[in-house]
Amino acid sequence: MTEELLRTEGLTRYFRVGKLTRKRTLHAVDDVGFSIGRGEIVALVGESGSGKSTIARLLALLYRPTRGEIWFEGKPITRLKSRNAKLAYSGNVPMVFQDPYSSINPAYRVSHGILRGIKLHRPELSRRQQYAELDRVLDTVGLVPARDTRRRFPYELSGGQRQRVGFAQALAFRPKLIIADEPVSMLDVSIRAGVLNLMAELRAQEGVSFLYITHDVASARYLADRVLVMYAGHLVEQGPAEDVLQQPKHPYTQLLVSAVPDPRAELRLADARDVGEPPKVIDPKPGCRFRQRCPLAIARCETETPQLRELGDGRRVACHVAE
Amino acid sequence: MSTSSVGATDQLATPPVGPAPIVGEIKHGRWGDVWRAISRNRKAVVGVLLMLVFFVLAIFPGQIAPYDPAATIFPPALGVSWHHLLGTTAYGQDIFSQVVWGTRLSLVIALAAGALATVLAVLVGVSAAYLGGVTDGVLSLITDVILVIPIFPLVIVIAAYSKSSGLGTLVIVLGALGWSYGARQLRSQTLSLRTREFLEAARVRGERPIYVILFEILPTMTSLIVASFLGAALYAVLTAAGLQFIGLGDPNSQSWGTMLYWAENNEALGAGMPLWAIAPGVCVALLGASFALLNYAFDEISSPALRVRRLERKRLRPVPELQPEHTPFEPGEQSQDVVLRVQDLSVAYATETAPVVAVDRVSFDLGNQEFLAIVGESGCGKSTLLYAIARLLGAPMAGEIIGGRVLFQGSDLVLLKDEELRPLRWRNLSVVMQSAMNALNPVLTVAEQMRDACEAHSDMSKAEIEARSREVLRLVSIDPVHLHSYPHQLSGGMRQRAMIAMALLFTPDLVIMDEPTSALDVVAQRSLMVQIKELQEQLGFAVIFVTHDMSLVSHFSDRLLVMYAGQIAELSPTEQLFTRPLHPYSRGLLDAFPSIHGEKVRLEGIPGSPPDLHHPPAGCRFAARCPLVQDRCIETEVPLVAVNGSLVRCLRHGELAK
Repeated sequence: MTEELLRTEGLTRYFRVGKLTRKRTLHAVDDVGFSIGRGEIVALVGESGSGKSTIARLLALLYRPTRGEIWFEGKPITRLKSRNAKLAYSGNVPMVFQDPYSSINPAYRVSHGILRGIKLHRPELSRRQQYAELDRVLDTVGLVPARDTRRRFPYELSGGQRQRVGFAQALAFRPKLIIADEPVSMLDVSIRAGVLNLMAELRAQEGVSFLYITHDVASARYLADRVLVMYAGHLVEQGPAEDVLQQPKHPYTQLLVSAVPDPRAELRLADARDVGEPPKVIDPKPGCRFRQRCPLAIARCETETPQLRELGDGRRVACHVAE
Repeated sequence: MSTSSVGATDQLATPPVGPAPIVGEIKHGRWGDVWRAISRNRKAVVGVLLMLVFFVLAIFPGQIAPYDPAATIFPPALGVSWHHLLGTTAYGQDIFSQVVWGTRLSLVIALAAGALATVLAVLVGVSAAYLGGVTDGVLSLITDVILVIPIFPLVIVIAAYSKSSGLGTLVIVLGALGWSYGARQLRSQTLSLRTREFLEAARVRGERPIYVILFEILPTMTSLIVASFLGAALYAVLTAAGLQFIGLGDPNSQSWGTMLYWAENNEALGAGMPLWAIAPGVCVALLGASFALLNYAFDEISSPALRVRRLERKRLRPVPELQPEHTPFEPGEQSQDVVLRVQDLSVAYATETAPVVAVDRVSFDLGNQEFLAIVGESGCGKSTLLYAIARLLGAPMAGEIIGGRVLFQGSDLVLLKDEELRPLRWRNLSVVMQSAMNALNPVLTVAEQMRDACEAHSDMSKAEIEARSREVLRLVSIDPVHLHSYPHQLSGGMRQRAMIAMALLFTPDLVIMDEPTSALDVVAQRSLMVQIKELQEQLGFAVIFVTHDMSLVSHFSDRLLVMYAGQIAELSPTEQLFTRPLHPYSRGLLDAFPSIHGEKVRLEGIPGSPPDLHHPPAGCRFAARCPLVQDRCIETEVPLVAVNGSLVRCLRHGELAK
């Protein structure tokens, strides 16, 4: 990994659920630690409800963590009080949302969100410079000619173009890390590759890091340097993308990878029997959260929550059994 | 969600996608849009014209009215003449001058009370929804209480007790009581906006809450706020006139209500001065009507649902002439091993301008026990086609079959009436919808929903229904204990399985599935696919499976039908399509998604976006995005041709196959 940019330690977020009389706690994200290097693309994969989007919103300061800390360039950021300090962080770490049809305000022209971002995060720019910057970011994400695009309303753009506007908004901040929460999952297959390539180009040209959140394991392999695998609020495996996805160690990663439909491979019916879905983690007891579905489960999995352990070559896995 | 119907109308207006330059110029801004919408709407035009007349009267009464409205200088009770257009009152005042001068006060009250009510409605409605919690509870309670109080008697009481009966009091009373309806609407609108990601985006950007409310939420609700203002103003016009008529308010002021008050006191109608009462009454009605018309027009302009309803009333004509395609099989009787034959099926949607043909002459045969997958991107017409086959078009899919046949078990489904369809539905042909959470009734248990279906389509006894319900649940690997669960108690995968179980209650010959797995995660998705395939082999029904993800069906479908811009692009055996696609679009789709195994190659996707079906290109519909395009592709319509058991719509298919 390159020089560390962001690191989380024991990041945890619970939500209160249920009625007043019987308060229960949903463990959306539980004790998650990972890091992202400068200029690195890290993919966070997992099924719906595994806590991926909660992590995105924790990093974007939309949620406060229940426990744990986020370090950005060596400084803790969860207890930031002053507006300026928060603004500085959110300028460094913008977010791109999943649904291009709901993430841009329909009442404004495309330029609105980008110019607001510039005004908030780079107040030193003159009006002329702001517009120059507006055109630059639109050019960078391929919405050319920028002078034409910036006057359009969102409804005049296709889904792929809107998602590019999302990236242009993020770029206007001069970010160091862009959190991209399922940025291609609502786009048509034929235009997904374009948006994935855009992220790769932004990294190459602008040196931006990405946290690419997705349920699409194949696109994570296509784009990312490293992969983090979430299951039921826990980080269960991490390592270089190619290693993790070609030789998954954690039984859950194995199941996930084998279930990806791939016309180029034989259908493996052996493990297609698993009909289980990830549990809702409400008031959990210790133990591995995958154990009910796990073909390798042993007695120890019932009582002791496996911690991430080093397997060499930058790979870590949270499993008592995996070698 | 019915992706296709939404897509079909959505994508029509979109310019090309991706790094390709956005061509074309901006024709109009949003104000241009608003103006065009108003000028096309008859209610809006009449409302605006009426309003203009009243504004002119209110602003220039001195120039328009010939006399001082209060001056009692003429003979009383004069009839209509050139000097007195509406005659004179019992006190010898000119009625026309009074009507003209009265406009000002009536309009001022309407606008001021409407504005006050709207400001209150916005404040209460938006902050209740945005802040939520206790604030919301309290504000909503107040709103609801004001909504149920009979306002008019209350206003009378308040107006009678307030000592100063001037204009200000009237405006404040009317404004303070007229906001509740608007507040309710604005609250629910804000609630639905709260989950929209652009508000999260604004917060991530670092905006303060007050900015988010004023500059992100409010501008998206302009039409609702305008409607709320017009509604409140209408209410103020009528209520103010009523109050003045019964003598509340200053009887010496110049307004239509006070005119009515004096006319009533002098028994104007009986005393030969009918216009004294009629003229102000008509004015109140017209001003009220102009607010109401504007309000209704705004509703119509801002709510697509109302607009569509208006369109539906128009005939879906003229539809473009569609020459029958070269059909790839012999016309004639349905053969034994074909369960469904679709011939030249075309579907059009009404739009504001010309009808749009969303499904264009689609023909295919479905064999007994065959698994046919229909793939394509949003807006390609795949869901419309499926809904047309199942005869489920109609609101909200307001499409209409404009040609073709759907032969199923000896009858043409297109020609059947609803009551003739009913015995076929469910028993012989069943449908599994995309989102089980929406397709299952949330207030009924699985057992109750199955019983409803059985009772509607058979005369099975209670015990038989119960037994059959258990049996089909077991078929889809759900423990029958879940029979008495409500949909929300089941996981996403189980709900989708329950949907399939319901479709299998009568072992139909054909099951039509619209993206049944798209809401599921990959693991659940695959296990459901395996299960569908097993059930199909075990029970012997045919499947039409619509999906946007062709890799999903790669191991399960017998044939793949690739749709593009409403037409069949290619219909081939699945394995062949994956190894040797004939159409460049099929090839493009195959190369568009990354592989989890094998070599890592750079993907390009398919540049551009589908054509605008309002103006379909004369030649090949894929030409603008096609890497193999030649001049001849653009010139004439490309026919669907049969090639070794496949159908393909491409002039250069032979070259791609090599």
